Amino acid sequence: MKFTIQREQLMESVQHVMKAISSRTTIPILTGMKLEATAEGVKLTGSDSDISIESFIPAEEDGIVYVEGIEPGSIVLQAKYFPDIVRKLPQSTVDIESDNRLNITIQSGSAEFHLNGQDAEEYPQLPQVHTDNSFELPIDLLKSLVRQTVFAVSSSETRPILTGVKVQLDEGELSFTATDSHRLASRKLKLENGNDQTSFSSVVIPGKSLTELNKILADTEDNIEISVTDNQVLFRTKHLFFLSRLLEGNYPETSRLIPEQSKTVVTMGAKELLNSVDRASLLARENRNNVVRLVTKEGREIEITGNSPEVGNVVEEVEADSVDGEDLKISFSAKYMMDALKAVDHDQVKVEFTGAMRPFLIRPIDDDQILQLILPVRTY
Amino acid sequence: MSKRYPTNGQIIFHVDMNSFYASVEMAFDPSLKGKPLAIAGNPEERRGIVVTSSYEARKYGVKTTMPVGEAIRLCPNLTVMRPNFQRYKQASREMFKILADVTPVIQPVSIDEGYMDVTLCADQGSPPEIAEAIQRRITEELDLPCSIGIAPNKFLAKMASDMKKPMGITILRKRDLATTLWPLPIEEMYGVGEKTAVKLRNLKIETIGDLAEADTWQLKHVLGINGERLQNRAKGIDSRPVDPDAVNEFKSIGTSTTLPYDTTQENEVRQVLRRLARKVSDRMDAKRVLAHNVQLTIRYHDRRTVTRSMQLQDYIGTADELFSISFSLFEEHWNQQPIRLLGITAQDLAEKKEITQQLDIFSYEKHAEKEKLYEAMNNLTDKYGKHMFPDLSSTSKSTQVSTSFQKDFLNDYKK
Repeated sequence: MKFTIQREQLMESVQHVMKAISSRTTIPILTGMKLEATAEGVKLTGSDSDISIESFIPAEEDGIVYVEGIEPGSIVLQAKYFPDIVRKLPQSTVDIESDNRLNITIQSGSAEFHLNGQDAEEYPQLPQVHTDNSFELPIDLLKSLVRQTVFAVSSSETRPILTGVKVQLDEGELSFTATDSHRLASRKLKLENGNDQTSFSSVVIPGKSLTELNKILADTEDNIEISVTDNQVLFRTKHLFFLSRLLEGNYPETSRLIPEQSKTVVTMGAKELLNSVDRASLLARENRNNVVRLVTKEGREIEITGNSPEVGNVVEEVEADSVDGEDLKISFSAKYMMDALKAVDHDQVKVEFTGAMRPFLIRPIDDDQILQLILPVRTY
Repeated sequence: MSKRYPTNGQIIFHVDMNSFYASVEMAFDPSLKGKPLAIAGNPEERRGIVVTSSYEARKYGVKTTMPVGEAIRLCPNLTVMRPNFQRYKQASREMFKILADVTPVIQPVSIDEGYMDVTLCADQGSPPEIAEAIQRRITEELDLPCSIGIAPNKFLAKMASDMKKPMGITILRKRDLATTLWPLPIEEMYGVGEKTAVKLRNLKIETIGDLAEADTWQLKHVLGINGERLQNRAKGIDSRPVDPDAVNEFKSIGTSTTLPYDTTQENEVRQVLRRLARKVSDRMDAKRVLAHNVQLTIRYHDRRTVTRSMQLQDYIGTADELFSISFSLFEEHWNQQPIRLLGITAQDLAEKKEITQQLDIFSYEKHAEKEKLYEAMNNLTDKYGKHMFPDLSSTSKSTQVSTSFQKDFLNDYKK
């Protein structure tokens, strides 16, 4: 195998596939990265058996040559050293060559590295995904769906299914739901025409997979194709192939947990609320759960307080655009509230409370596709 | 300031009640005075062990932790009594009240001993005069003997109170160390347990003086940071202050029980754990704390002891919660061998008023059910203050709570 490649393109691809490579894997060869050169270009593969990523660098695209002098072949090299080597090479092009004794030479300018490789035949074949359950959507939309939900997955393995995001496609409506049981984030999206036929009941994608995917995908309006099977999901763009296993098990039914009626409704600027909670949390950090308290006052005033017995307290009255319904005193995690407000990503929000011990909802004022739910904190 | 009062450095007392439980029984029933007396866990059962004994019994060789049977063999006239913890606590409280009359800087260490910092008590006389006055009041008012150590720091005070028993007052000055402290065998040193003593003897350290002169690096190597600490103490250096609040920083509440006979019956274990859980829960209630960690202790027939604990997601405090966690720990870790002792300890405690509980989407409803009640209570509390809702259940129960080694009542002398 032999080729000369643009260092910048190689670096980007290396960084992408590194997201799937773990030094702690039960299959030793998966600590390596597979390089495969064909006349069309160079393909890099990394996998930890939960996530597999392939990144393709075309020999030529839009008249720009990325890879030249290709002698087809493949090799697995040690992923631990490769990214740093590529990053620190002196020239903008890199020559990579492997001989039949699995020795790899990486050369750029006058720098020359020799690495021991492994036989690519020993690298596991990535599973083929055969499914009719495919649909497409713009990458930037997928990224915002992920960003608005994935932060709410559970970080604890006590209920493994909650470490994933439930993804559902029903009559052209795609929905993402995540909950760690203390808060819930949900986002819906009506897909463009052409995707109406596809539907699948629901799959649970590991939160970690989606987080890594979001890091790799660039913010573009190009489409990404998503294919779902019983135990895997594949995300495919022009040059990227991102395969993740699905979580097994039943995702708890969450729709019935979302209150339909509310007793106190506050509407106000998301930023004002966020900043005020942020300030209150400065002095709430010392107490457990980082709890702040919200109390409705006269008229449209609401009071937000944070308090740590040893440090001090902070009180702030902010004016809402409207406060309707019963008076309310409620405590909640400042972090959850700030996460939710950031995810809602709208200027004006509506916060709907149903009581001090019951979940409350945060939604954009004019968009019912985004929903954030938070369970309050009980104080004794 | 009195001329006889030392002006530089601190003056610390360690007050140590002499064979406290036995002495309290003798004060309660003077006919027991002068007789060999032992207080034992369960006198009628073969495994009851001697918790404490009078000096008269000690002459026969009766020792703490000795099985009752053996003690009686050594001393056939021995009177064996069950402990009356309520009595001991009452006596302890009165004793600390007497100390509190001298200075508020008191650190109770256990039911029968405590430190006092009398550095600023020159107006009450010289340190030995103050010590004599304390000893006299405790004898006259409570009919109890005690020994008092007087020294420039806690460690030396503790060592001093041990030097003359019963009814001793011992002054240990730094300049006396070479003659009084250093000749003592290393085992006599407070803070040196069996294992440490063996390690030290391996280093040819036989006396406290040897320890003071030993190579610091070598000590650190063998005993870690504790090695250096022990050496400093041996040199007479101990900078720990007398901390009246130390009792408040209780880290755990626990209780254990030796079974009347070794068992492998899960049913019996279940019953015992239920009982222990209730006890711990009552004591937690009395202290208004919740726990974040529960530890189970199992001692097997061969005295091998294992402790296993579980870190929890939420704070818990009810007997049911404590029971179910300790029982699941039991099921997970019991090796099917006969069990002699079981214990439950609630750890990682926090005061209820500082605790907040993040509600859970799948279980919030059990809290939400009582929303109206909590709301009404909060409103009344806001209006009339915290005393609106004294916790009736816990105040009535706290009086029955009892174990030998709990420290949570040691604050009560302040009341």
